[in-house]
Amino acid sequence: MTLLDIVLIVIGEIMIGIGALADLIAAIGMNRFPNFYLRLHAATIGTIWGAFLPLVGAAFVAAGCKCLGEYRWFMAGGALITAFIILILGPAGSHALARGTHRSGIVPVEPKVVDHLEEDESMPTSQETREIGEEEGGSP
Amino acid sequence: MKHWIGICILILTILAISFVVAANINVLVPSTNVRTLAEIYLKYTYYPWDKYFTAMSPEACTSIVWDFRGLDTVFETMVFYLAIIGAIALARGVPLKLPREIKGELGLSLIVKTVTKIVPVLIIAVAGSIALHGHLTPGGGFQGGATAAVAPVLILVVFSQFYLLKRGVNKNSMLLLRSIGLTGIGITAFAAVLIGLATGHYAFVLQNQPKPLAPDISLPAFVGGQLISGSLWFFNFFEFLAVAAGFTIVFLLITLPEKLAEAKEEKHVAEGGEK
Repeated sequence: MTLLDIVLIVIGEIMIGIGALADLIAAIGMNRFPNFYLRLHAATIGTIWGAFLPLVGAAFVAAGCKCLGEYRWFMAGGALITAFIILILGPAGSHALARGTHRSGIVPVEPKVVDHLEEDESMPTSQETREIGEEEGGSP
Repeated sequence: MKHWIGICILILTILAISFVVAANINVLVPSTNVRTLAEIYLKYTYYPWDKYFTAMSPEACTSIVWDFRGLDTVFETMVFYLAIIGAIALARGVPLKLPREIKGELGLSLIVKTVTKIVPVLIIAVAGSIALHGHLTPGGGFQGGATAAVAPVLILVVFSQFYLLKRGVNKNSMLLLRSIGLTGIGITAFAAVLIGLATGHYAFVLQNQPKPLAPDISLPAFVGGQLISGSLWFFNFFEFLAVAAGFTIVFLLITLPEKLAEAKEEKHVAEGGEK
């Protein structure tokens, strides 16, 4: 086991440890935060710090472990690809949730300093699809 | 006060499970011994030395599902497609058509759309690998098809239904794909019999490798050096097509925009029909 392997494994284990800590913090936040937007913030802590980072750490650990043989590169690659997918999907999903909630106006935005989205949406928009009732019948 | 009771029960349950696992109590923890039936399956799932009993597939699940108890699976597939046929019959007459003009931009925001342009490709690639490697690794046709059907659902939600309809993913094309899949399953099931009829030998329906009463007919386990396990690869592939298309039809129907249904009802009322 060379020095590089040891460094990789230690860095990976530190990242997994940070991930576990972040998951705990996110869980406490999910339980304690008072409204939807704040809880969404806690949930994204869980996806990025608590899932993306430990997966990269797991890739480092796998790359450093010679005992796993050639298959360690498959494990490291799989972990990195999963981490990348979580990295692009997590923010997009939480963005869609937050935007949908904001547009429907179910939850009041508080605590609020400034809300640019509300200012944008108060301008008139027409996204209605018109004239869709005609010329459809399908088979009886 | 109440949630403290809940937390205490949760912690006690976790401690009790840890104790049971750590103390290795035989009643609650499954034993490590394998029963005779499981031993037979594990031995003969890939066992080229006895051609009459093996399924020539290292994946025990797929070889049980499509070879050892293949007829059961055919009936299961039939039940599943009867359910889908029921859904289609319920929704007959429901318009799955493009509106004449679409004003404004449909779907979710640009950020979500950009991500969704990347992800369905990955989903379909993974689904294909699950289905086509179903005879080698855990997975199979049904699992691959169900995974592939996630991609149209994602597009339905993010880009709206019209995006799919405009590109030809509609009820009729999916019905065609599903029918191709089901016909493929049927042809694969009767393949050995057809070969037997053509060559004048005995053969069974759903036969994969040679059997004691039909020793001359078998489907090839290897093609070009690659293990395809006879009929299992074909079953997985056609089941993948059929399941993916069937689920897509159901998702298209249950995500029908309310505006279309409302508009049809208003027209119906305006014409003097009963509601």
